[in-house]
Amino acid sequence: MFEWLEYSFLSIWVGESLWGYPIMLSLHAIGLAIVVGIFTMFNFRVLGLFESIEYSAFVDFFKLAWWGLLINTGSGVALFCSQATFYVTNTPFLVKISSIIIGSIIAFRIQSSLQLNAEKWDSKVTEPGSKDYLFAQSSLLLWACAIFGGRLIAYL
Amino acid sequence: MAENLIQLLEGSTLNIWILSTAWLWPLLEMLHFVGLSLLLGAMLVIDIRLAGFVQKMHIRTTHDLLPVAGIGFLINTVTGVLFFVGDPARYTINVGFQIKMLLVLIAGLNALWFAIKINPEMHRWNPYADTNIAAKTVAYVSLVAWFGVLLLGRLIPYVSTG
Repeated sequence: MFEWLEYSFLSIWVGESLWGYPIMLSLHAIGLAIVVGIFTMFNFRVLGLFESIEYSAFVDFFKLAWWGLLINTGSGVALFCSQATFYVTNTPFLVKISSIIIGSIIAFRIQSSLQLNAEKWDSKVTEPGSKDYLFAQSSLLLWACAIFGGRLIAYL
Repeated sequence: MAENLIQLLEGSTLNIWILSTAWLWPLLEMLHFVGLSLLLGAMLVIDIRLAGFVQKMHIRTTHDLLPVAGIGFLINTVTGVLFFVGDPARYTINVGFQIKMLLVLIAGLNALWFAIKINPEMHRWNPYADTNIAAKTVAYVSLVAWFGVLLLGRLIPYVSTG
C-alpha cells in the first residue's frame, strides 16, 4: 500500500517537482506555529501564567488552531506520501504521529472543558480542576514530542 | 565584509565544537522550533487582537504574553547565532537567510514603533472594541514579518545563493 502511495499523482508532484516539496514544508511550518503556538499559550494560562487573560478569549483562538491542524494534516499527508515507505519504519516519525493523534484528542477534550467552563472560570465561580491541569501538562509534553520527533526524522 | 566574517568564524573554537559535536545540530534545531512556537504563538494572539479581532478579549491583557514572545526570541537568537557560527559560509550567501534577517529587523522596528506610538495611548481605548488603523497596521506588519521569518527560515535549504 505504501509503495502505491509513492506513485500517486500527489506524491510525484511533491517528490519531483521543483516547488512541491518546499511549498508543503512551508505550509507545514505555518500550521505548526499556529497549532502548537495557540495550544501552548492556553496551556500556560491554565497552569497559572498570564492570569489577567480571560479564558473565554481563547475560545476563538481554538478555532484558529483547528484550522492550523487542518493545514498540517493536508501538507503532512502530502509529505508522507512522497516517501511513505521511509516514514512508516522511521521511529521519530512514529513518535511524532502518535504524539499528534493523542495531542489532538486531548486538545478536543480541553476545548470541550473550556467551552463549558470559560465563563465560570472567568467569574471565579469555579477554577480549572485537576483534570484540566493534567490535560494542560500532557498537551505541552505531547506537542513538544511532536516537534522533537519531526526534527529528528532527518537524523535517525 | 562577509568574507572577513566567514574567515573569522571558520576554524574558531566554537565553530569546531559545533561541527564536531554530532548531537548538537539536531538539538539546536529542536530548541529553535520550540522557540518559534513560543514566539509565534504569543505574537499570533497579540496581533490578532491588535488587528481588531476577538473583541471579547481585553486588549491590554495581551501584554502579558510579551515575556513568552521574548523568551522565544531569546532561545532563537542564541540557537540561531550558533547555527550561523557553525556554518557561516552557507548562511551569509543564502538569499533566504538574508531576507529572513531583514524581516527580523522590520519586525523589531515595528515593535519599537508600537512601544513608542501605540502603547502609550492604549489605556484610553475601549478594551473590548475594534482598534484604529494605526494599531491594525502594526498588527499586520508584525504578522507578515514573523510568518515571513518562519517561511524564509524553512526555505533556506531550498533557495539559491545571492
